[in-house]
Amino acid sequence: MTAAAPATTMSGRYQRAFTIAVVVLVAGWHLVGAGGQLLDYRPAYSSFAFQGAMWLVMALAITAGSVMVLRGTPGWRAAWAVAVIALAASTAAAAASPAGQMLAVNWAWGSAGWTGVLVLLRRRFGELAWFLAAEALATLGVQVWDGLQRADLAGFLAVLAWSTGAQVAVAAGVRALDLAAGQAATAARNEHAARERAATAEIIRVARHARWLTLQESAVPLVAELAAGTADPGDAQVRIRCAVQAARLRRLLAEGDEVPGSLVHELHASADMAERRGVAVEIETAGLLPQVPGPARRVITDAAIAILTAARSQARITLAVVAAGIAVSFVADTGVVVGLPAASEGVAIEHQQDGGMLWAEARWNSR
Amino acid sequence: MEQQVTVAIIEDHPVVTEGVASWIRSDPGQRVLLVQTARDLTGLRAGPGPSADVIILDLELSGELVTAQIPGLVAAGYRVVAFSGHTDPVIVMETLDNGAHAYVSKDEGSDHLVEAVLAAAADRPYVTRSQAKAILADQRPDRPTLSQQERQALLLWFQGMSKASVGRRMSISENTVRQYISRARAKYAATGRTAPSKDALLARAIEDGVIKPGDIMPYQSFARAAADHPNLGAPGR
Repeated sequence: MTAAAPATTMSGRYQRAFTIAVVVLVAGWHLVGAGGQLLDYRPAYSSFAFQGAMWLVMALAITAGSVMVLRGTPGWRAAWAVAVIALAASTAAAAASPAGQMLAVNWAWGSAGWTGVLVLLRRRFGELAWFLAAEALATLGVQVWDGLQRADLAGFLAVLAWSTGAQVAVAAGVRALDLAAGQAATAARNEHAARERAATAEIIRVARHARWLTLQESAVPLVAELAAGTADPGDAQVRIRCAVQAARLRRLLAEGDEVPGSLVHELHASADMAERRGVAVEIETAGLLPQVPGPARRVITDAAIAILTAARSQARITLAVVAAGIAVSFVADTGVVVGLPAASEGVAIEHQQDGGMLWAEARWNSR
Repeated sequence: MEQQVTVAIIEDHPVVTEGVASWIRSDPGQRVLLVQTARDLTGLRAGPGPSADVIILDLELSGELVTAQIPGLVAAGYRVVAFSGHTDPVIVMETLDNGAHAYVSKDEGSDHLVEAVLAAAADRPYVTRSQAKAILADQRPDRPTLSQQERQALLLWFQGMSKASVGRRMSISENTVRQYISRARAKYAATGRTAPSKDALLARAIEDGVIKPGDIMPYQSFARAAADHPNLGAPGR
């Protein structure tokens, strides 16, 4: 699908930019936000080494998650493995925090939430909701275990509203931007297809116009003369012109219908030249013609040019399928013997002169 | 003087009808008498028997192909000469298979139409170049087998040679050329769908010595095959 490719690339480029923005946001939060909080409350922890180890586990989870999402949307196993590791590290860090100050010193809650946003970003929205709910419950559970105070609950709800609100907002924002990028890409694809259609229509129009111009300078003046009475149908000269134009009209109508293959087109081109000299040329084909290689075609078209140049008023060219090849024949009122090309490239040429009429046949065999 | 052949023209373009009428009038022997013209098939005069010996039938009436109407016309006793702007071998073959005596393309009209009508009236084959083209292009599996000579005569005739020239080319008499071409045509009358016109053509060809009953042996074996396997289609009687 060549038409879809640029649009898909464009949509993919936008989505990647949003992914990078989320990676930077999550990594920045963990380094500066959580890292800063950890260092600030360093004396408050019973074991700073354990908190540091959990911070590193979280950092590794974020790194793994970043690599995954930059490579494409992760599968549910990989995404949830990272999410569960983050959740476990966060819960362990919370459990190891001093009971009374948990909300103030707990750096891990935010990081775990952002890690979930990172890996579940382009999965179903419900998965992220489940993860954030599980994380909030785990943190609340640790607090209940420590002995929940009323003031702690109010603080917990405030932090919950703030952090979860921000995380959901980012996830929803990326989702909306993805949608917009998709729409932009579809619009670009439609525009591309429309442009292609227009180009095709233009090619058809040009071909039609060329045919129309051909008729304008040939058949139309003749018809006008006949209608005006300035051309006399009784005049032999006028009848020859009519025959030539009738043959040309028939060929223009047949063009593109049942004339595949370049040999037929090359013969048509030779016929056009003869027509300009006033020779009426018919071209007929019988059967599905095989492809004729270039050098053999050259021999056949050389014969066609020699005969059509010598034709006085009429010529018939036929192409017929014969056993293992093709027979291209010419019947024309050449009057004199025509010099024909020698047999070569698998093409045998025979001819017979009957009075003023020449018959010649170029037969190409595929074997 | 022989009795004139009566003909009806069914053609939806009056200018073509007029042209065909003028070819009939300008025949030096006045061998054909135009008795009726109609713009469609319903315009044919209804009566106990056919109103003309031969119908010149334009295959496309008011934009519709009427090849499927040919069996009905043939059954009513008409001999049909198709006269059409089409040269597509598939249409030519279908027309002949449906029982038309001859096929004349509109390009071939002035040279061949009157002769084709006369041949049809006598139940004799008349093979135009467009018919030769259709036979040469025929690749259907159940097509009749043509001899090398019949094929060569058809090919040279299609290529545009006069029959006299074809004879010189093949070192045979012009009459033998006609015989080969007529025989190829008669073989086609012996295949495909049943039609009284095809039977008449075949009977006349045997009578004229164009074809021997033995020449259509492949057809008879085809008939046996068809009797064993009715789905192969009904051959001519």
